[in-house]
Formats: sequence, structure tokens, C-alpha cells
Amino acid sequence: MKLTHILATTLLVMSANTWAEPTYRLFVTNEKSNSVSVIDSRTGELETTLEIGDRPRGIGLSPDHKTLYVALSEENAIGMVDVATLKFLGKLDAGEDPETFAVHPNGNLYLSNEDDAKATVVNPTTGEIIAEIRVGLEPEGVAASPTGDIVLVTSESTNMVHVIQVPEHKVIANVLVAARPRGLAFNKSGSLAYVSSEIGNELAIIDMSTYQIIKQVVVDIPKSKPMAIALSPDDKTLYMTTGRAAKVVIMDAETLAIKSTADVGKRVWGAVLSRDGSTLYTANGVSNTVSVVDTATSKSTMEIEVGKGPWGLALDD
Amino acid sequence: MRTMKSWLFVLMAAFSQSSMAELIDVKIHYIGPVTGGVWFGVQQGLTEANIQGEFLGQKYSLEVVSVEELAKAESVTAVLLATDVTQILSVANQAALSNVAVFNLISDKDELRSACLANLLNITPSQKMKQDALAQWLVKHPDSTAHIQGWHKSFKKFAASQLNSRFTKAHRSIMNDDAWAGWAAVKMLSDTVARNQSSDAGVMLNYLKNDIAFDGQKGAGATFRDTGQLRQLVLIIDEDKIVAEAPLRGVKGGLDSLGLASCK
Repeated sequence: MKLTHILATTLLVMSANTWAEPTYRLFVTNEKSNSVSVIDSRTGELETTLEIGDRPRGIGLSPDHKTLYVALSEENAIGMVDVATLKFLGKLDAGEDPETFAVHPNGNLYLSNEDDAKATVVNPTTGEIIAEIRVGLEPEGVAASPTGDIVLVTSESTNMVHVIQVPEHKVIANVLVAARPRGLAFNKSGSLAYVSSEIGNELAIIDMSTYQIIKQVVVDIPKSKPMAIALSPDDKTLYMTTGRAAKVVIMDAETLAIKSTADVGKRVWGAVLSRDGSTLYTANGVSNTVSVVDTATSKSTMEIEVGKGPWGLALDD
Repeated sequence: MRTMKSWLFVLMAAFSQSSMAELIDVKIHYIGPVTGGVWFGVQQGLTEANIQGEFLGQKYSLEVVSVEELAKAESVTAVLLATDVTQILSVANQAALSNVAVFNLISDKDELRSACLANLLNITPSQKMKQDALAQWLVKHPDSTAHIQGWHKSFKKFAASQLNSRFTKAHRSIMNDDAWAGWAAVKMLSDTVARNQSSDAGVMLNYLKNDIAFDGQKGAGATFRDTGQLRQLVLIIDEDKIVAEAPLRGVKGGLDSLGLASCK
């Protein structure tokens, strides 16, 4: 009895140390108004707007959710914000034209430098650039595997998914996919990776033990230009934004059959799913809004006005 | 010392060969000027094709030839032409090249489309495509003095701005229609080789004509008509500004409302 109690207390203390209390803040980068909208995800109300630098695009949270990172493409930097206090913490050198990035489980940032055909690895604690990895033209999507041993980078203009070994930072495989690959996502174990192709209008599944495509479908939705991908917590459902089609496509993650669609705002790009999988938030670049989609009904329940050209989202829940 | 160096070289060559199981060497024949827009475009395409090839195991090179030299060439994978109608037709009609992709990069002459040659692929928009685009525009703007262009420095959509900036960085000039055509043809070829893991001329021609959905960084995946014309949007330019894209919104037939839609 006593032992259980001690154990529980220890666990509580440990989790308090590694995880900050959730603020339920939803952060949205507004590419064209050089700002970050901060929304209370519980009410959908705009809390404040941060101005931390020019052309904010990629956005993400540190593994402990204490720090928000924002790629400032025009400033060749990553801006940092304290999630709890919203205090601006400074900028990191990020190489030329950083578009987007993934936060590795060890805390390092893996960035795609769109104009430079490379990926840059930054340690945000020291500000040091640890590595630069040569990839194809116009690198875009980045994802770190849950186990951290692999990072994927897409090159939009050479149609590849580059498989990068960590910590060696060596490209160990290149998977040719449909034209203009953009979004990436891993399943929970890291055994599968999903990749969307904007111009090819396709979604593909890559087997991460062989680096071969095991399934590939054309997205049968008018005007669809596939972008961001999110997987449900149980790995069974896949959500994908489709740009000008103004819809989120909801698919069976195994068969890639379309189960339903949700109407959202115009030119939908970024997306983030709540930790419990109940709510999907999308950045609608032309409507200048964020759509809130109830995943149980596949319906948009709210459209929140943000800045101009909303691009990406991060949720502290 | 010299021996050691050459040994090292042999070793490295052997290593790179074995690590990329099927290294494919692709030689592209080119007839045309070796300076100016189209040449810079071809060079840009070649640079980008070799970047992709580094990762996927292909190497691309260009051989500049005359019509006579081409006729004597032993094996031809693909031909790029930046020349006149007479030369283009004479090359495309060579029996030895009947199953080889022959690209017309820059001539807009309609007769190259209406000829309906199975191996001739026309990259640049035809005269008729440009006339039809202008006609669509003039329906609503009868007094307009606009003209038609395939490509423009201020075109930003579909990542055109990234391509423009890469090109300008490398060649210190803006990417005009000719440059885009040269770039697009080489990129299409490299896409075809990489996807088929083959540089067989017949396989390539078949893929180009029937299966390619090429990302030309100016819209949806581009395909060829049976006339050999690359489907594409064109830009309506007035006083050096883009005022619209053709086909204009709502026009029946979409991209095929521009120019000769089919041989049938």
C-alpha cells in the first residue's frame, strides 16, 4: 500500500518535471501578416497575436511542450516562444530559407532549407548547427520517427522521400514518389510512413523496413492537392488536407479508402490533431481562418478568424 | 604516387558502382544554339536531373550535334531540338528515330502539331494555343493590348518562384519561354528514366506520351496530347504584368480549349 503510494507520488513528480501543464493553446503561423495567432482551443477564442519575425511558416513544440518553435523563412531563423508565458525567447540561426521542420524526440530540430537543397540539424539549447545534409531540390516535409532513429525529408522538385539515419545523418535510401511530395507522417511504432504528393494528387505508404512503397492511391476529390497528413491515436484513420479542394479527406489508414470528407476553408494546408483524436484543426490559407473539425461527425463546428495566409499549427494539449 | 591515386580512383569507382546497383548513363542529343535562353534552360534541367540522379543512380550528359552527326549516331536515347521547322521535321521523320522521343523545344509553328508524328513532342505552346488564349481574353476585354506568354518572372504560383530564383541565380537572366522549355524537356526525361529505371528509347517515348504527369511548376501534372503538344496554361500579359491565366475560368474544354485538341 505504502509502496504503491510512493510509486504514484514519484510518477507524479516525474511527470511534472518532464511535462508542462497543458495550456490548451493553439498556435497558428500567418505567413502573409508576419504573425502567430494564439487561440484558446477550449473556447475557440483568439487570445492574442504575436509578432516575432517575417514569413512564419513551419511551427512545432519541444518534446516537453515548454517551447514553441516557428520557422521565420525570410529571416533564415527559428523564433522561440515560451508556451506558458508567451514570452519571446530569441532566434536560432537556421540556414537559408527554412520552410518547415520536425522536432526530434531528443529535442533537436530538423529543418528543410527550401532554396538550398539541404536539411539542417539545429540543437535549440546551444543554437549550434549540428549537421547539414544534402537532399534533392526544394526540400519540404520533414518527419522524425517515434523511435528517433530515422528522419524523412521530401524534395518537392525531385520527387523523393530521403531516408536519413540518426545520429549518423547519412541518407540511406531514397524513395521516388508522385510529383511534388509535401506532407509526411509516421504510425505510432514507426513501421510505416505516409507521404502526400501535391501535383501527383497521391498518397503513398512506405514500409520502413524495406523503404518500398506498399500502397499508393490517387485522391479522388475534385481539385485535390494533397498537403498535410495526421494519423488518429489508434493509427486507424488518416486525415489529409487537400489545398484548393477546401476539404479534409478522412481515410482508412490501412486501405487508404476514403471514409468521408469534411468541408473546411479555402486553400487548406496545415493540420493538427488533438492528443485524444477528437478534434482536427486546419489552417485555411485563402480564407484566413482556422477550421475546427469534429472527427466523430466529420463536420466543421467552427471557423476562427486569424491573420493573413495561415500556414501551420501547433497545439499544446 | 600516381599509381596509388589511380588505384584509389578505381576503388572509388568500383564502390560507387556496387552501391548503386544499376547506375544508368543517359546521353541526350541536342541540336540548337549553345548560348541564350533555351541553352541555359537545358543546362538548368541537366543540373537538376543530375541532382536527382545522384540519389537514384542516374547520370545525364548532353551531346551537342548537327543534323548530319545525329543521323550517324550509333545509339540515340532522346533528341532535343531548338531549331527550325524543316530541320525538326527531317529529324523526326528519320526512320532510325521513329521510336525515339524527339523534342521540339521552342518552335510554335502549328504544322508541327497538325503533322501528328508519333515521336515528336512539342514543349512550347503553339501559335494557335496563344491565339485562342488571346481570343478568350478579348471576349471580355475587347480593347486590351495584351499578349500571351508561357512564362513570366513574376509568376509565383505552383512554386514557379523557386524555379525562377534557382534559374536566375545560376544564369543571371530571367527564365523566358525558351528557357522553361529547355528545362522542362530535360526534367521530363529524367523523371521518365527514374520512374522506369530504364533508358530504353521506346520505353521512354511510350511513358512520355501516355503516362507522364509532369510537374512543370506551372500547375497540375502536365500531359501530352496525341498531337504531341504539351498541355499547359499560358499567361496573359499586359504592360509586363500578368493579368490572367488561360484557359480563362469557365471556358469549356479546359486546357484543351487552347490550340488543336486532337489529331482525330
